[in-house]
Amino acid sequence: MLCITEDFLEGIAWELIKKSCTQLPEDVMVLLKDFQNKESNPSAKELLETMIKNAELAAIEGKPICQSPGYPVLYITSGSDFIIDADIQKVFAKAIIKATKEGYIRPSIVHPITRVNPGDSSGKGIPDIEMELRPDSSKLNLVISFKGCGCELANKLQVLTPAQIGENGVGIKRFVLEATVNAGGIPCPPVAVGVGIGGQTHYAAKLSRKVISIQKWTDRNPDGEIAQLENELLQQINKLGIGPAGIGGDTTALTVKVGMVSTHTAICPVAVNFHCWVGRRCGLTIESDKSYKFIF
Amino acid sequence: MSKVVLQTPLQKEDVAKLKVGEIVYINGVIFTMRDLAHLRLLQKLAKNEEPPENFFGAVIFHAGPVAKKQDSNWVTSVIGPTTSMRMEPFSETILGKLGVKCLVGKGGMGKKTQEALIKYCGVYLLSPPGCAVIQAKSLQKILRVHWLDLGMPEALWVIQAENWGPLTVAMDAYGNNIFEEVKNRALNKIKQIYGETYCSV
Repeated sequence: MLCITEDFLEGIAWELIKKSCTQLPEDVMVLLKDFQNKESNPSAKELLETMIKNAELAAIEGKPICQSPGYPVLYITSGSDFIIDADIQKVFAKAIIKATKEGYIRPSIVHPITRVNPGDSSGKGIPDIEMELRPDSSKLNLVISFKGCGCELANKLQVLTPAQIGENGVGIKRFVLEATVNAGGIPCPPVAVGVGIGGQTHYAAKLSRKVISIQKWTDRNPDGEIAQLENELLQQINKLGIGPAGIGGDTTALTVKVGMVSTHTAICPVAVNFHCWVGRRCGLTIESDKSYKFIF
Repeated sequence: MSKVVLQTPLQKEDVAKLKVGEIVYINGVIFTMRDLAHLRLLQKLAKNEEPPENFFGAVIFHAGPVAKKQDSNWVTSVIGPTTSMRMEPFSETILGKLGVKCLVGKGGMGKKTQEALIKYCGVYLLSPPGCAVIQAKSLQKILRVHWLDLGMPEALWVIQAENWGPLTVAMDAYGNNIFEEVKNRALNKIKQIYGETYCSV
C-alpha cells in the first residue's frame, strides 16, 4: 500500500505541467511527421512543417508551444494499492498558478459570466479532475491535459434516436464527418477527434474528451470493433480535404479515438470532441513502490 | 507561390492586389484584439468616445500574447492566432467605421466579414495555428498596451511587426474564401457517400 502525500504530489504536478506546456508528446510528433511526409498539397505540407518546427523550437527554448494554454483536466486512474492523502486539486491548482507566474501558461481562466480574469489561472473547479478506480490494477496513472478552447467551439453533442443510428451506425459516422467539416479550420487541424458513444449526454461528452487525453494518439484500441470504427472514420475524414488550418489538404485528422458504453434502449448520445494538433498532455505511472515513469 | 511584403498602415492598393492563396509578410505596427477588446471598443464608439489608437489602415491580429515584463518594458514571449469566428459580429464596424484593412487569425470568418471585406476593400489572413514560438520572433517588440484590466489575453497590445509571416490570404476583397470553398467541397463529398439520409448536424 502506497500513501501518496502532498509533498510527493507537488513535485510530480510541477513536472507534469511544465513538460506538457513545452514538449509535444512523442506520439503526436511521430504522427505529424508521418502525415507531413505523405501530404500532397504544397501549402498544407509547408504548414505542417511550420508546426513541427514550432514544436521543436518550443522544446529547445523551454517555451509554451502555443500561446493559448487551453483548459486543464487531470485524469487519475487508481489501482487498489494506493491511498491518496492529499488535496489533489489544491496541489495541481498551486502548480498551475506557479507555471502561470513563470510564463509557461498564459492567464486565461475567467469567471464564466463576468469574464473577470484573476490573472493567475486560478478559479473554481480548476483543474477539473476525473477519477477512475481500477481494482484490478497495481498502478496509479496521472495525466494532465491542457486541451485548447478554440476546438471546443466546434464540438457537437446530439442524442440520436434508434432510427437515426442507421445500419452499421451510418448515422453516427455521418454525424462525426459533418461535425468535422463544419468545424473547418476552427479547431486548428490536423486534429484528434474524440467520439463518445452511448450512456447519457454527460457520459458521452466525458468519454469524448477522455479518449483523446489519456492515451497515445498512436495507440490501437484493443477492442477490434472500436479499432475498426476508429480507422474507418480516420480514413473518411482524411478524404474530405479540409487540411491543416482548414485551407485544404490531405491531413485533416491525425487520429480518431472512440469511447463506447452501453446506453438506454430509447437513445444513442454521440459527442464529438476536437483536439487541436498541439496535443498538450503529460502523464505518468506510479508503481506501488513509489517509482514512477512517464507514459508520454 | 508569390510572396508579398506589406508595410502598415495599409493602403487600399496594398489590399486590392491580394488574392486568396498568396503569402504575405507584414512590417510595422499591428494591434492584437480578442472578444473583450472589441466589445469595449464598440462601447466607446457608441458613446462617441475616441478610440485609444488610430485604426485607419490597421492590421488587427486576433490573438493574445504571453507577455513578460523585462525592466519596465513588455516583451512577447509567445503569440499565435485565436479563433477569428468569434469576432464575426464586429467586422462591419471594424472595417467600415474604423478603417481597418486587414484581419489576421485562424479558422476563417463568416458572411458578414466577407461582405465587409468586399465593401471596404479588406483582407483576412491566416496565421499558422498553434505556432506561437515561431511567430513571437517577428512580434517581439511591444510598444504599449491598453485595457490590461481585461486580462493579459484580452488586452489591446500594440506590437512592432518585423517580417511577420508567412500569412496566407484566405479571404480577399473579391468575395473569395478558401475556408468556404474547402468546406463546400467536403460537404458534397459526404453527400456522395451517404446521400440525403441521416442528416444532419
